[in-house]
Amino acid sequence: MAAAGGGWAAVCEKFRTARTLSTVESRKDPETEPYRSKYSARALLQEVKQLLSAAEEGGEARLLAVRRAVLEYELGVNHTDTEELSAGEEHLQRCTQLLEPHRLSPDCVSLYIQAQNNLGILWSLRDEIKTAQTYLESAEALYNQYMKEDGNPPLDPSEHFMAEEEKITDQERSKRFEKAYTHTLYYLAQVYQHLEMIEKAAQYCHTTLKRQLEYCGYNPVEWALNAATLSQYYLSKQCFMEARHCLAAASVIFSQAGQVPSAEDNETEQDQQDLRQRKAEIARCWIKYCLNLLQSARKLLEDNIGELDPDRQLELKAQRKKEEDEKEKGRKKAVLFGTSDICDSVLAIEEKVSSVYPLDFQEAREIFLVGQNYVLEAKEFFQVDGYVTDHIEIVQDHSALFKVLAFFEEDYERRCKMHKRRLDMLESIYVDLNPQYYLLISRQLQFELADTYYEMMDLKIAIGNRLEELDSHTIKKINSLAQLAIKYYELFLDSLRNPDRVFPEQLEEDVLRPAMVAKFHIARLYGKLITSDSKKQLENMQTSLEYYMFLVDYCEKYPGAVRAVETELELSKEMVGLLPTRMERLRAKLCPFI
Amino acid sequence: ALPLLNSPSVEGDAIKVYVRVRPPSEGTALTDGDQGLCLSVLSSNTIRLHSKPEPKIFTFDYVANMETTQESVFSSVAKNIVESCMNGYNGTIFAYGQTGSGKTFTMMGPSDSDNFTHSLRGVIPRSFEYLFFLIEREKEKAGSGKSFLCKCSFIEIYNEQIFDLLDSASAGLFLREHIKKGVFVDGAVEQVLSSAAEAYQVLTMGWRNRRVASTSMNRESSRSHAVFTITVESMEKNNEIVNIRSSLLNLVDLAGSERQKDTHTEGLRLKEAGNINRSLSCLGQVITALVDVGNGKQRHICYRDSKLTFLLRDSLGGNAKTCIIANVHPGSRCFGETLSTLNFAQRAKLIKNKAVVNEDTQGNVS
Repeated sequence: MAAAGGGWAAVCEKFRTARTLSTVESRKDPETEPYRSKYSARALLQEVKQLLSAAEEGGEARLLAVRRAVLEYELGVNHTDTEELSAGEEHLQRCTQLLEPHRLSPDCVSLYIQAQNNLGILWSLRDEIKTAQTYLESAEALYNQYMKEDGNPPLDPSEHFMAEEEKITDQERSKRFEKAYTHTLYYLAQVYQHLEMIEKAAQYCHTTLKRQLEYCGYNPVEWALNAATLSQYYLSKQCFMEARHCLAAASVIFSQAGQVPSAEDNETEQDQQDLRQRKAEIARCWIKYCLNLLQSARKLLEDNIGELDPDRQLELKAQRKKEEDEKEKGRKKAVLFGTSDICDSVLAIEEKVSSVYPLDFQEAREIFLVGQNYVLEAKEFFQVDGYVTDHIEIVQDHSALFKVLAFFEEDYERRCKMHKRRLDMLESIYVDLNPQYYLLISRQLQFELADTYYEMMDLKIAIGNRLEELDSHTIKKINSLAQLAIKYYELFLDSLRNPDRVFPEQLEEDVLRPAMVAKFHIARLYGKLITSDSKKQLENMQTSLEYYMFLVDYCEKYPGAVRAVETELELSKEMVGLLPTRMERLRAKLCPFI
Repeated sequence: ALPLLNSPSVEGDAIKVYVRVRPPSEGTALTDGDQGLCLSVLSSNTIRLHSKPEPKIFTFDYVANMETTQESVFSSVAKNIVESCMNGYNGTIFAYGQTGSGKTFTMMGPSDSDNFTHSLRGVIPRSFEYLFFLIEREKEKAGSGKSFLCKCSFIEIYNEQIFDLLDSASAGLFLREHIKKGVFVDGAVEQVLSSAAEAYQVLTMGWRNRRVASTSMNRESSRSHAVFTITVESMEKNNEIVNIRSSLLNLVDLAGSERQKDTHTEGLRLKEAGNINRSLSCLGQVITALVDVGNGKQRHICYRDSKLTFLLRDSLGGNAKTCIIANVHPGSRCFGETLSTLNFAQRAKLIKNKAVVNEDTQGNVS
């Protein structure tokens, strides 16, 4: 009786109300009763179920089973949403059982996939990721099978409780079906990430993003941030082409967010601020892109003392020529985002920066300049007042960009100037920074400053070595650079002391290598100080020896440390062997009569 | 032999982790059948969880059993931190655990009592007393040469938004950083404190403004993190030299851990799907996690910090003394949550700030 005429209309009405309660009203529930609407929806669904059972005798069995499955599905989701997992599972299981025989037919496939999605969620809530995985993978397989065998836009589950004239268009059906499948992929991305199948997870994230662009309404800001973040994954895998594509797409989609006037059109100051921050975040991802590309190129090109290897350079240039000729054949189509018009904009951005390793100064400089522009853009938002950490990180990146560019520069004087730029930017920040709150950054700055002075000193020595004789100006310069390097290394080492100013007996894992390297460099710096005063020279040698001894003694006491400083230790041992003899000779010169 | 899950902690900056087992509320133990307990305290630093098939043993810095008094919890957990706060260190005490595991009791005391002197008062009121006791003692010792200024703020983080519990009319607030003063909540009310009783008053007033919710599963569950911060500033005049020291004491009541499914601490979940039209907002978290395990390459992650970890960034490794009190309910029905709390606490012991000193010596060793 209920299935006929007015009765059926009432059933549909109840069902519709339940859906509205569950999806729309529940968002407005008060915080003190977060599930109020869900509970009311549940009661209505139970009623609908009752009405259906009453109609059982008359109706057609298959139709009835499918309608019941819809209800079981809704009840399952409802219980899961309200943290009642066991009940939720029962309902969802009943749903899939009812649908099992018809799962490949157009009126069931979408519901079946969604039920499996929800079972996946449910099992993940129980921390049973493997079980979740099986449900989601079978949903994925079902989608593929359906698209292969049938492919017509299937019915949306809500249509089972609609009058004929209300049913939705094929276009809308297809949209909803694709959306459900996008969710399957999105859940699978999470499952794979949990199972530490990183590459697969990344691939599913990528596909989800791609499908979001194709099928769903997406939030452009969120999408852009996701794509920009994904680019960072590709960076860590050295896939520069993919990284660049993600970033270019992020920039394109983000710019859409700026253009679309918001619905309410009274965007608050805060929203504007937020958008600016997002833009700066994307710029920061670009900085990392440029930096990584340069640094990886450097790795390829450097010889065993860290200088550019010209043979290697020629070799790589020849290799690139060959690859370029072959490239036309196969650019990876699968990774491309967007439809034609978006594609064109993405391409235009991609063209602005290379995705292949730069092999000489000119090429490196072009990437450097792009990176530097993004540094300026990022700093516009992340100003030191209010965003200390972010601001300093950007400055550090800027310094790193200069550092790697200097590698490609052949002229030592110009190289020195680049390092000077680094010192200026780092020092001006370091002086104000309070280590009580920014200990780690403060250490990083100390170390980097020390390193930069060290590097400049080496350059000055190299420049000096080309002269007939070291002039007093150069000597002064070298000594002062060495002293400043020592100062910052010592500041770094001091930061490791405990509240009673005692240096730790055993170094923590995370500072072990830097601390040892600092000691080692100080030892070398004392060795490099130039003085005509032999007594002073002897003192410097003595200090140098003490620092070398530190490494040797420490590694003897804690053999675990050896692995971290193998080269340094070897050299230190050598110096500990050599220095006393040299000092002896110097002493003999000082007091020839003893 | 049973595996010990961690080695004894190395003295240092590692976060100290305390576990406190609350007694089951009257009646529950009986109805739960066979003893009804899912764990037993083996010693003052080990606990056994009756998991199947193998029981699990966890070791922490300190395990408080059901009989442990509030005073004793305070002595072993907070005393030291308050003392280092007087010496210029920042300190943080967290309470973590499922709803009903005794966080509020541990931190505040019995919920129905506004009485600051109640014998069951918790860590926070006792910390106030101790802090002001130390201040008075310092003042007496140093005479007029030394002065103190204490201020407090009390904020709540709910849905990644920050609210001021001392000014219920305020809209969402924002975190900012200052190059000298570190992270702060821009615009939060700062109230000057002159005594422990006053501090307690401010605390209870703010506590009433917190967001709570009830569901058919949980009678009452706090859905927000509450952070009570005291700034202690001391000024010492020695002849012409003025020595100013300042430190923070953060007392944090975390939202019930079963509510924390979105935070990094709990690991990621597939996220509720009820509404298929919802944006796939947690995709970002997945991607972030993928990048997080990247192999030390230079990278920038767009949405990394939650408000809470950002605010307490300094407490999680680095330059602060931090301890976590993990509260657990011993009932066998709470097994799942207890296990996840203990696992969390275990992980917390390993927390260290991952930032490392940039150093790159390639080419410098010559």
